[in-house]
Amino acid sequence: MVWYSLQAYSGFTNAWGSIVSASQSGWFVDMNRFSSSAHGSIKCEDCHGPMAGAGKSHPDPKVKDFLRIETKKNFDYQSCKKCHKNSYERFLSGEHAKALIKEQETGVMSKTGPAPICGDCHSAHYSVSHLSHAEINKAMTTTCGSCHPSQMKSYLANYHGKTAVNLGFDKSASCTDCHGAHHCTSLKEKETALKSCRRCHPDAQPQFADIIIHDSKTDLDNKSDSKKTGLKTVHALSLISLIFIVMVLAFFYSHSFLLMLRKIHEKLRKHT
Amino acid sequence: METKTNQMHFYQRFHVLHRLLHIVIIVNFTGLAISGFLLSLSHYNWTKILVSIIGGAAAAGSLHRFCAVFLYLGIVVHLLWLCYYKISLKGILFGPASLVPNSKDLNDLYQNLRYVFGKGPPPLFDRFSYLQKVDYWAVMLGMQSMGITGLLMWFPEYFSTILPGHFVNVANHFHFHEATLAVMYIGIVHMSDTHLLPEVFPLEKSIFNGKITKEKLAAEHPEEWKRINLLKD
Repeated sequence: MVWYSLQAYSGFTNAWGSIVSASQSGWFVDMNRFSSSAHGSIKCEDCHGPMAGAGKSHPDPKVKDFLRIETKKNFDYQSCKKCHKNSYERFLSGEHAKALIKEQETGVMSKTGPAPICGDCHSAHYSVSHLSHAEINKAMTTTCGSCHPSQMKSYLANYHGKTAVNLGFDKSASCTDCHGAHHCTSLKEKETALKSCRRCHPDAQPQFADIIIHDSKTDLDNKSDSKKTGLKTVHALSLISLIFIVMVLAFFYSHSFLLMLRKIHEKLRKHT
Repeated sequence: METKTNQMHFYQRFHVLHRLLHIVIIVNFTGLAISGFLLSLSHYNWTKILVSIIGGAAAAGSLHRFCAVFLYLGIVVHLLWLCYYKISLKGILFGPASLVPNSKDLNDLYQNLRYVFGKGPPPLFDRFSYLQKVDYWAVMLGMQSMGITGLLMWFPEYFSTILPGHFVNVANHFHFHEATLAVMYIGIVHMSDTHLLPEVFPLEKSIFNGKITKEKLAAEHPEEWKRINLLKD
């Protein structure tokens, strides 16, 4: 097997490891981690191909950029298609691919950052398989959240996120359960959103899609008009109720405190 | 409404049903507060551990709904008792001895504020002081709004057909705010004003055994004491 021969060079803890970490290059693969990953049983060539055939050559140490070229952006992800045909095609019809095309045409990145391709979300060498839904949810939230931090924050404040990610509840929905894996659909359109809701809430009626999952005012501009008005109502009412409870508590806490002081005072005075 | 027990120096202050309902509220309120705040503060490690101890997020959710149903059943039983009290016992719902707020409560509040600043004698309460009335109405009204907002989040599929969808979010905010209010009110105000005051510390027993001594009745509910003596004469 291939990795056996490579394991002689692996184990980033030894002297080799210090060279690797000093190089700050993404070209090295920790073969211990690789061999226990989902791709651990496939050969390097299966993805990286015979280099000569693709017109590529081994990196030349004399070149200035040796081992400095961005690995993720330079890999030809066509080879993922060989095994992950559905995911690949879904990606091509999804929002991330659209953003990628737009980015290539105009040369301008979207507000969330550079458009991701396979390697930006998935680690080809280290991703582990056979994870539970809850474990995937947890990992996914940080992956998606690295480009969509405000959505991650609002998702984690919602009971879907609280139960799925914080408490490891398997039945709770995570990012891709609503937005689709690889499609990464925007759910601004109510009909699209409703379809997602109905995967878990089969009885949901059209208005059900007006429930706000990403309940935060940080990215109000990206929301649909109905969500915008909804969010404004929600937060105005929430502020009123917050002011109400603060006032009630302030009144009764000071009342109780003063009353307690007076009663203790009376009691002590009686003793003397 | 005071009936003398065998021992002459005790008066009955609370009917056995109300003592039972008070215990029903204690048990279910505690269950609701624990399970609810564990679920909503789930980002802390200690809550994750406690939730796993009570059986995970699903179990905490079930416990919350279970306690909510039983707490609300307590309210229903109380309302049924009120009907029985009014219709069969021909009781008075709005008299000076009732829990309905009246103008005397505002005067009592004013006088109590003068008292705590050492400017006058303590107010002379009737059967229920204004703080006891607030305790009662906090539960009575609080349970209605907690019940409604809770149901909105329990059955969003149904409620989104009769209300705008984002009202489920409103319910979520209100439920959390009011839960905070309830726990902070019961934990500090109800405890300190009812159970922890120097004269009753550490516990006001009358809500558990229903009895109140003659001396205490005369001291803490002088208006009621006056009325009882008038009835005797």
